[in-house]
Amino acid sequence: MSVRKAFVWAVIACCACMATAQTPFSSKSSLVDSDSRSIAGGAKVQFLFPEQVTLPAGKMSAVSLHFKVAPNFHINSHTPKDDYLIPTELKIPASSGVRLAKASYPPGKDFTLPLDPDTKLSVYSGEFSIETHLVAERGNHLVQAKLRYQACDNNACMPPKTISVPIDVIGK
Amino acid sequence: MVVKRNTVVLGITLFLLAAFAWAGWANWEYRKQQAAKAKAMSAQQGMLVAADDGTLQYKSPLMDKPAPAFTLQNLKGQKVSLADYKGKALLINFWATWCGPCKLETPWLVELRNQYASKGFEVLGISAEGDEVTPSDKAGWAKDKEAIQQFVAKNKVPYPILMGGDSITASYGGFDAMPTSFYVDRSGKIIATQMGITSKDEIESKIQKALAD
Repeated sequence: MSVRKAFVWAVIACCACMATAQTPFSSKSSLVDSDSRSIAGGAKVQFLFPEQVTLPAGKMSAVSLHFKVAPNFHINSHTPKDDYLIPTELKIPASSGVRLAKASYPPGKDFTLPLDPDTKLSVYSGEFSIETHLVAERGNHLVQAKLRYQACDNNACMPPKTISVPIDVIGK
Repeated sequence: MVVKRNTVVLGITLFLLAAFAWAGWANWEYRKQQAAKAKAMSAQQGMLVAADDGTLQYKSPLMDKPAPAFTLQNLKGQKVSLADYKGKALLINFWATWCGPCKLETPWLVELRNQYASKGFEVLGISAEGDEVTPSDKAGWAKDKEAIQQFVAKNKVPYPILMGGDSITASYGGFDAMPTSFYVDRSGKIIATQMGITSKDEIESKIQKALAD
């Protein structure tokens, strides 16, 4: 077989490989993947960063914690507009070696449910950050901060959830 | 010289072929894993089906099956069982105090319950607050109960509100989104479900379906 023929066959084989790679499961699984209004449970908020911070021991230091809300979901802000709504709140357990001196939450965005356009909610969606002031004792501390939130989409709400926010804090 | 060039071209071609084959295999494996994950999720949580408008809808595995039996306490502490409502058409409505859409649909449920009660229809409101309140958390339960009582009084809810719904959500398909409703006909069979809020008209049409003999 000439090299030219081999090349042609190779190109045909490559095309076949690519077609095979895209075909299986493309119908139903992509439908599920493309719409993140998952009815399943699980965390709707993800801690993004920082994984590690180095702070002067014993001194109050500003650390910005970044989070991401799952697409198509929102969570109540720290200051929801109704008493019955559960606010987003960050806590650091005592005896972590790190004290949460202050937490400044971003203002919520106004949001209305399609079936209730007259009621404005105060929510976070997409990415948001909490500006903290931490005081670290000297040494390495693997802090498991806790973020409590309650998520909804346009039609339904998930139970309140508390996620761990792991940060390696080095107090020097 | 020509032979050497041909060898290089053949080598590159084979390399590309191998790279594409590997990419194809990796892609296929990834999709297979995602499909398995989605299938497992669907099996656990009910079923996701595509509606005509392209959105995903909840189809409970309990459809056309008898509503699972339960016994829970009402706000007065009395035991209430599903069996107590034998022969009635029911709307079993799982809701929570922290759920905005639940609060939005409650006045509709109250109106529809009052409208259809004489025809043998009842709503059972089942409070499912989530697993952050553990069975031993007496203060948490008391706080929840107070919030529920306030809401019931404010909305003049005429139908039974039952506490501790989290203990029976597993038998009803393991969902965790609120509100979730199950429509039960007079024979005790689940004839319609709804996860998330929908229009009052749609709720009413499902009630009528549950009432139909």
